[in-house]
Amino acid sequence: MPLMATRPVEFSRRGFLSSLGGLAALPAFGGSSLGAALLSSSDAPLFASAFKKSAGGYGIAVLDDLGQIQAEISLPARGHGIAVSKAGKCFAAFARRPGTFAIIAWPFSGQPMQTIVAAPGRHFYGHGCFSKDGRFLYAVENDFEAARGVVGVYDVSGEIITRLGEFDSHGIGPHEVLLNPDGNVLIVANGGIETHPDYGREKLNLETMSPSVVVLDGNSGDLLAEHRLDRSLHQLSLRHMALDGSGRAWVGGQFEGSKTDTPPLVAVISRDEAPVLLDLPQKLADQLENYIGSVAATSDQSVIATSAPRGGKTLFWNAQTGNYLGHQNIADGCGVAPIDQGSFLISDGNGGVSYLSEPGERAEILARPAGFAWDNHMTAFRI
Amino acid sequence: MKRIFLSAAAALIAWPALATDYTQPIQDMIAGYIQPETTKFAAATAELPSSVKSVCAAPSTENAAEFKTVFSDVVKEFARVHFLRIGPMVDEDRISRLAFQPDPRGIGQRQIRKLYSAKDATALSADSLAEKSVAVQGLTALQLIAFDKNGNVVLGAESESRDFTCAYAAAISENVAAIALAVRDAWASADGYSQTLLATGGAGARYQNEQEALEDMFQTLSTGLIVVRDQNIAPALGSSKDKARPNRIPFSRSGNGVVFLAAEMSGILDAVKSMNLEPIMPEEHVWLIGSMTFEFENAQKTLNNLQPPLRQTFETGDAYSQLSLVVISLNSLQRLVGERIAGALGLAGGFNALDGD
Repeated sequence: MPLMATRPVEFSRRGFLSSLGGLAALPAFGGSSLGAALLSSSDAPLFASAFKKSAGGYGIAVLDDLGQIQAEISLPARGHGIAVSKAGKCFAAFARRPGTFAIIAWPFSGQPMQTIVAAPGRHFYGHGCFSKDGRFLYAVENDFEAARGVVGVYDVSGEIITRLGEFDSHGIGPHEVLLNPDGNVLIVANGGIETHPDYGREKLNLETMSPSVVVLDGNSGDLLAEHRLDRSLHQLSLRHMALDGSGRAWVGGQFEGSKTDTPPLVAVISRDEAPVLLDLPQKLADQLENYIGSVAATSDQSVIATSAPRGGKTLFWNAQTGNYLGHQNIADGCGVAPIDQGSFLISDGNGGVSYLSEPGERAEILARPAGFAWDNHMTAFRI
Repeated sequence: MKRIFLSAAAALIAWPALATDYTQPIQDMIAGYIQPETTKFAAATAELPSSVKSVCAAPSTENAAEFKTVFSDVVKEFARVHFLRIGPMVDEDRISRLAFQPDPRGIGQRQIRKLYSAKDATALSADSLAEKSVAVQGLTALQLIAFDKNGNVVLGAESESRDFTCAYAAAISENVAAIALAVRDAWASADGYSQTLLATGGAGARYQNEQEALEDMFQTLSTGLIVVRDQNIAPALGSSKDKARPNRIPFSRSGNGVVFLAAEMSGILDAVKSMNLEPIMPEEHVWLIGSMTFEFENAQKTLNNLQPPLRQTFETGDAYSQLSLVVISLNSLQRLVGERIAGALGLAGGFNALDGD
């Protein structure tokens, strides 16, 4: 695999802990019976999400299809996205940007959890994905001194996780990366916003930002396609994605321009066609504060959900026609994951986990575990 | 950077001196609402074990009625504190152990059925019950075993499982009383959670400053209103009247649906009022408090008009449309409390909405 790093780097738990100094809360399956229950559990669907606890502290929880917490992993700082290997055997949970840690867990095998620290001069952006065979993990990262995005490539098949190298993301601020169904290309949403850890999460280039969605060869990292929106929308940060049944990426944006504008926030992007922007009823658009928090497809990939936590609404789209299907009011709802055939599970910052059987029905609150605030994303890892 | 509401930003520019004292509303809410209400809740639950024992020892009409009254009082006092989902109520999963809800798929019922079929003796003492699933150890479990679907007390009544039910109910009632006592004591203690909220900043502090602490307290009230609307009322209304499911209102099985809803709403109102926010609000926003009180009182009036049992009046009376009106009030209250009043005080909003990614 021709990668841009000069030599592979190995990671160890010790390296992880020392990188966190005295702060490290040892990641572990919390609760006495929970980890064991997960290992021995039937084949019920499971979901994972980062959380914040009202008592303080962050972690990753594994939930069942009734919204009940089955396992907990504590994290030393706020988590964000979770990548799941195709067979659901393994997941990787990333620190929220500009964090520098990720954990890799094999929840059904008893294999010990592993941790990765970002390479020197890099931090994670919070998302990643696995190769089709589960051997490689692709993580979006910031080469912050050069202000360019990269996709770090990790071999997670051995006892020691190795960073094989990195691909150029051909943009700034790569936020989410997906693997196409064939497993040979990566789709990267470059949010376009420059940040530097010296300035925390401050946005450094709002005037000149130029987000893009690129298609990269999964083996070589070669740029296969690159899409940018019209210049008038250069401040629409393209961030979160889900694939529909035709392999097109549905991209949710966050607009950094004037608060009085209401640009389209959802784009459909395929490899060889120009991006299609989708409109919303104006009355609804006025309520979203120009912000889409996450994007998910139903398991049959026929319906797309885009959550808008600032507007307290989750919107639904017909994946085939691009038609807007309606919305649900879910206060601070952001995490969305497919469940059953054509349904969604939606998590919110008030601890609620809601089941939506179909877009026209009323969402049903399944659970509200005490003291949990669900973070931006929820991922199905055995559906 | 925290995203502060637009109106708040404007207010803070106009009233720079007002952003200073976030301690007073925290102190006022602890002393003026949380401590007295958790004390009342503990006192109500203290009556529960003896009334369970009485009705089990002699299932007379009087004892059944007495149990029903005690249970109703506990539900009412619980409704006034259950939205305080911070600190003591959350520690040791107390809130879920006190009442396992929401539970639209009947997890509690399924687990209780298993206890019965296994004649599980560990459910029969408060100590061992406290170690079991949260779904089987609180008021929602007690309601299931002590009342029939029509709200009649069946606890103590002749049946095959009478003795098991009585022993299990006694264990639940003692467990609930113990948890309520622990909540009361944790709030009453000078070095308890009050201290966490008030002694902010420094190494190991939960909150870096008073504003963060007040934001969390305010957020619990705002979330409380969302729970009333989306979790406690909306499932009962369903998508239309013919799909209504009044039995989805918490504690409606025991005939306490209206008691619960009215008490949680009056509790949230009293909690907001206990903070005495007017002096620290920018003058041009003080009217929000009056507006909120008016809206709460409207909703209360509507709730008080509801004729129990809702399981019947949903079909035959106008309870459905009355409750739909309460939802409209709650929409407006949620905006007032969670957005406008919080905004006027310069407090930040929801977790995902705030500084997302």
